[in-house]
Amino acid sequence: MAHVVISNLVKVYPEKSGPGVRVVHGIDLEIRDGEFMALVGPSGCGKSTTLRMIAGLEEISEGSISIDGKVVNDVLPKDRDIAMVFQNYALYPHMSVYENMAFGLKLRRFPKSEIDTRVREAAVLLGLTDYLDRLPKALSGGQRQRVAVGRAIVRKPKVFLFDEPLSNLDAKMRVSMRTEISKLHARLGATMIYVTHDQVEAMTMGDRICVMKDGVIQQVAAPLELYNQPENIFVAGFIGSPPMNFFSGVLSRVGSEIWFSEKNEKSPPIAFALPPALTTGLGQSLNRTITLGIRPEHIETTRVFGQKDTDYATEVTVELCEPMGAETLLYLTTGGTSFVARVHPLEAYSSGQRVRMLFKLENARIFDHETGRRIS
Amino acid sequence: MSGIAKDSVGARGHRDWPKHAIVGCLILVELFPLYMMLQVSFKDNAEFINNPWLPSNPASWHWENWAFGIRLIGPYIANTVFVAVSGTAFSLCFAILGAYFFARYKMPFSGVLWSAFLVLMLLPSVANIVPLFTLLKELSLLNTLTALIAVGVAGGQVFNIFVLRNFIEELPKDLFEAAEMDGASHFQQIINIVIPMSGPIIGTLAILAFLGKWNEFLLPLIVLRDKELFTLGVGLIYLDGEYVKQWGQIMAAYFIASLPLIVIFLFCMRLFVRGLSAGAIKG
Repeated sequence: MAHVVISNLVKVYPEKSGPGVRVVHGIDLEIRDGEFMALVGPSGCGKSTTLRMIAGLEEISEGSISIDGKVVNDVLPKDRDIAMVFQNYALYPHMSVYENMAFGLKLRRFPKSEIDTRVREAAVLLGLTDYLDRLPKALSGGQRQRVAVGRAIVRKPKVFLFDEPLSNLDAKMRVSMRTEISKLHARLGATMIYVTHDQVEAMTMGDRICVMKDGVIQQVAAPLELYNQPENIFVAGFIGSPPMNFFSGVLSRVGSEIWFSEKNEKSPPIAFALPPALTTGLGQSLNRTITLGIRPEHIETTRVFGQKDTDYATEVTVELCEPMGAETLLYLTTGGTSFVARVHPLEAYSSGQRVRMLFKLENARIFDHETGRRIS
Repeated sequence: MSGIAKDSVGARGHRDWPKHAIVGCLILVELFPLYMMLQVSFKDNAEFINNPWLPSNPASWHWENWAFGIRLIGPYIANTVFVAVSGTAFSLCFAILGAYFFARYKMPFSGVLWSAFLVLMLLPSVANIVPLFTLLKELSLLNTLTALIAVGVAGGQVFNIFVLRNFIEELPKDLFEAAEMDGASHFQQIINIVIPMSGPIIGTLAILAFLGKWNEFLLPLIVLRDKELFTLGVGLIYLDGEYVKQWGQIMAAYFIASLPLIVIFLFCMRLFVRGLSAGAIKG
């Protein structure tokens, strides 16, 4: 186990002409001892580059990475005491499962008996005992990924790095491996840094999640905190499936209340008086354009469970209905803004139907339109 | 379904007979020298003059021609095997190191270095003969087998590195990174990743290099003086001059000289064919 500190980390790829492409912009991140940190973000956000810099596979342009207090910027990958699981497994095709797992130990000149013990222990842990003599080509995708994990485990490194290890697996296998890696983390208690573009993986596996975009960390928080208290529009939109709905509009004071009016030139805009809990700190945003974000599960039909038709209810049009079984996703429009509601699967809806929807605004978030930062 | 397939195959077989006939004729033309060598090697000169085309009666085969041939060219074969095997081995060892460097290291001007290296492929080897002779003379390597090995190793580098570099570049980068994480040095990566995974292409290059060295003629002719050091290419030419009237002995010697290549070809046909296509890429 180890604790990893990343300080002002920068990565610049040189260009033939010009100052170079800056893909990581001075990030600071601390990964605690034994923590499972998920790095998540869209393609090209710099998460894999950051992981590769931690691994030592990419040179650091600026800043530092320290593992257990020791700066490892100039330490070779093999001397950092870390192990990495690659997206494409990276198993040696000419070596058996046993040899693949034993390779790192053999290079480090471990005694044969010690190698054998560690490999067999890892094989039991990962359910690979029956496959030790097989070549990787004779294994399924899930088994290959387990071998790749086993190769990391046998070395008992300080830090495990995972670079989108499940992205080559089918959906069912991905769910199963996700659980296995989580169990493994619980059992080993090791520090793990896990890169993924799949926010479901990040949410379900990470102790904390680091959301990145364009080489900059947007927010680092525990999964539920990230979901409920996103710091900006990007995080709010990236985390959650379907993502948070955003309504562009203006805040204005009407008497003692603050009202939100949707910007909508095509049809009568929706307008709500915001609940008092949501109005804290909105003073400077009055009469300015803001973005109101609300998650699909916080928009419900007024007819469900006899909910009271409150001021927060309004009539909108159904564009599409997706019955999922346990829930129904309703794609709706106010005329100016399209949004999604996750509703109870009690009724069937048809396109064009007018429905009255209840907005649970106490769960809404308000973001500055220009900076994207949450202001309430 | 099977009926249709059968009809289809039958129809194609019927249509293809002219092609098969042409290929058969070509094979016969190709095998004819081999046949002549073999059947003449069992005759004395009188039998050869009276009946040059057909095999003689096995009861009257002159096995002494073969015994003579083996005695005559045995030393040449030994020299050739020594030069070809050691030359091929050294050539491939150096080529793998060079190819790994060009495939894995990207540094300023590495593209220019690579282009400059490739230009060497355009130089006809014959153009180097005179400076090469001078160089070997300066190094006191004339009339030694070491000269043949050294020149062979150096001369084969460009093509071998060209082919191997492309092959190594195609190997997944992740494998090298995984090996690096596992603690492998560059040399260990070559031993544990590059060589095992490049087996087929190394085998192909080894065969091409071996064939080239086995059939080498011009360089040994210029470098070697002592008959004891002759390799097959030169040795067989002198054989022709000295024993011009003993056709059976000459053909036996020729056939013995060809045997190793025939055996190698039969056992490594797939690699050999792949080697031909590797050569095609080079052109």
